[in-house]
Amino acid sequence: MKKFLALLLALMMVLSLVACGEKDTADTEPVDEGTEVYNVVYLVNGNLGDKSFFDSAEAGLEQLQADGRITLRTIEMGGTDEDQPAWLSNLYEVSESGEYDVVICGTYQMPDYLKEVATAYPEQKYVIFDDNTYVGENSNVLNLTYKQNDMGYLVGVYAACMTVDTNLPLVNEDAVVGFVGGVDSPVINDFLIGFIQGAQSVNPDIKIDTRYTNDYVDTAIAKEYGISMINDNHCDIIWGVAGNAGNGAAEAALETGKAYFIGVDSDQELTLSSDLAALTLTSGLKNIGNSLVWVFDELDAGNEYWGTEVTLGLAEGGVGIVTDKNFDAMASAETKAAVEAAEAGVLGGTIVVDSALADGGADLAVSLREAVRP
Amino acid sequence: MFFNTDFFFSMLRITAPILFATLGAVVGEKAGVSNIGLDGIMMISALFGSLTTYWSGSWLVGLTVAVLIGILVALLMGFFAFNLKTDIILVGIAINMIGSGGTLFLVKVITDLTEGKAMASTTSLITRNLQIPSVQIPILRNIPILGDILSGHCLLTYLAFILVFLVWVLLYRTPLGLNIRSVGENPNAASSVGVSVLKIRYIAIAFGGAMSGFGGAFMSMYYAMGWSQDMVAGRGFIALAAQAMGGGEPFGSMLAALVFGFAQALGIKVSSKGIDSNLVSPIPYLVTILGLVVFAIVARQRVKRQHSAAALKKTAEKNSK
Repeated sequence: MKKFLALLLALMMVLSLVACGEKDTADTEPVDEGTEVYNVVYLVNGNLGDKSFFDSAEAGLEQLQADGRITLRTIEMGGTDEDQPAWLSNLYEVSESGEYDVVICGTYQMPDYLKEVATAYPEQKYVIFDDNTYVGENSNVLNLTYKQNDMGYLVGVYAACMTVDTNLPLVNEDAVVGFVGGVDSPVINDFLIGFIQGAQSVNPDIKIDTRYTNDYVDTAIAKEYGISMINDNHCDIIWGVAGNAGNGAAEAALETGKAYFIGVDSDQELTLSSDLAALTLTSGLKNIGNSLVWVFDELDAGNEYWGTEVTLGLAEGGVGIVTDKNFDAMASAETKAAVEAAEAGVLGGTIVVDSALADGGADLAVSLREAVRP
Repeated sequence: MFFNTDFFFSMLRITAPILFATLGAVVGEKAGVSNIGLDGIMMISALFGSLTTYWSGSWLVGLTVAVLIGILVALLMGFFAFNLKTDIILVGIAINMIGSGGTLFLVKVITDLTEGKAMASTTSLITRNLQIPSVQIPILRNIPILGDILSGHCLLTYLAFILVFLVWVLLYRTPLGLNIRSVGENPNAASSVGVSVLKIRYIAIAFGGAMSGFGGAFMSMYYAMGWSQDMVAGRGFIALAAQAMGGGEPFGSMLAALVFGFAQALGIKVSSKGIDSNLVSPIPYLVTILGLVVFAIVARQRVKRQHSAAALKKTAEKNSK
């Protein structure tokens, strides 16, 4: 019995090796042109089709492949708890093979696995997006993060324009918008500072009602906060920056029928159900795909950032705002122009958005927040 | 103005899911079953309620399934606790862990939904017409202030408050209720007169499961659109506290649940005036502690009074001799 089991296990191992080996052959393309073609493997700790980070990264990498700058192999490792052991073994496997110039993975779930493997293979280069848990601990890992304050600035400009655009059915006359944050923390306040400064650049007298749910999971409480913001303080646009709980603000808008919602991180018009998507004016975006293109642009230019954290803002295309669908249909020409001008200003360096992550940022966030309270 | 009609409306809405679980805890404790897994059952029911609503296109089917799943999970807990003699607190802890991590696992297996950073949820599947509807009460709605507060709630909110009365009837006006109470107070005595302790305990824990099912359905099918991880956010535990604060009686526990609702609604109203959220968020907990202190003082005085009454009686008897 024992022997049989051992045999079976060995057979399974061999099979899995074969299964892994097969896929590799097709991908190696000859190197042509002047610049180097990088062999890239993208490890998805979930599945493609999330209409969010994973898809965004894949789109950027596929663009690079189409341009002949990289060869790409994407491995979908699955996102369930039982898939997690495979994340580590896949990392080991691709690192051991030595075939890839760059190994890409991302999200907050990966750093522990990556640290272990990156330590074991110091020659292998890794990129991890949207995480900065172990910055600098491995000189072969590049951490990509995103400037929430730049994103917040654009959303703020947009919201300040929209909240007085009474052509829209749900917009009231008061220049009051809302912000539902997860926790009163530096990262969330980084979104907030950008949001306030952007809104103030359009309308210095704008009021912003900021509430924290102190929680990223309790959608119901976020909804209660949203309803209170809409009914008590006449907010007609609410930006939800509180993980899943942030959707409660969209639900508050739907239930009261008196407000719109703005999404965050990914294009929430695509991920929310139709009723909520109809009220979602736009979303602040983290452009994972663009940030990966940026990495290879820099590599081609001879700039290497291994072992550091690079925070990508608007200038690098790392953040942005959704400008199609509802944005396109609902925003007036003036609003669109204002958002474009703000984008150009930040890009050109004429507008500098403060950060809650910088020295004194925490105090700045508090003073700004209290100054604009309705 | 803090205490406008909005405030009392949201107080009732916040109370409802807590009240369901509280009633489950009340009946459970009466039968001597300490079910701390209410929170977990709520999360499991919330998931299956919202998923079946999506598949069937009918909230009624979703609600039924949520309640049935609640009963099923509770019976499973009963099997482990009563038949296999596992400590019921441990079973409760296990159910709560399944409610948090297990549901996330299930939703990924069943629906294949993944999101890059945020955790999977069923929010994308649920539209407004799949939610449990709110109802306007015909005559009540036209009464000025009262109408704004009491009319227009979700069907389940009304059900929660009606159930308080029904649970009281069950416990104090039916043979089953008598059996439940006797099993809770003295299982040996109950069994000596031919009451099946096991059966009564199963009934009590299943009732708790059904109530948690309603509570879970309220969370994912009315309060929020769809299920997301940990969305019940400790309401099952608040229910346990409400049961204790209410002295284990249906009406008292309802009042305790309303105190929680009041505190939560107050916190939200206070924050609209610009009070720091770090000062606002402890309000529900402060009110809880305050409530427990008041409850303890009242209970102590009652005991004292009983003692002194008993002492007086003794002296009186002595003197009369």
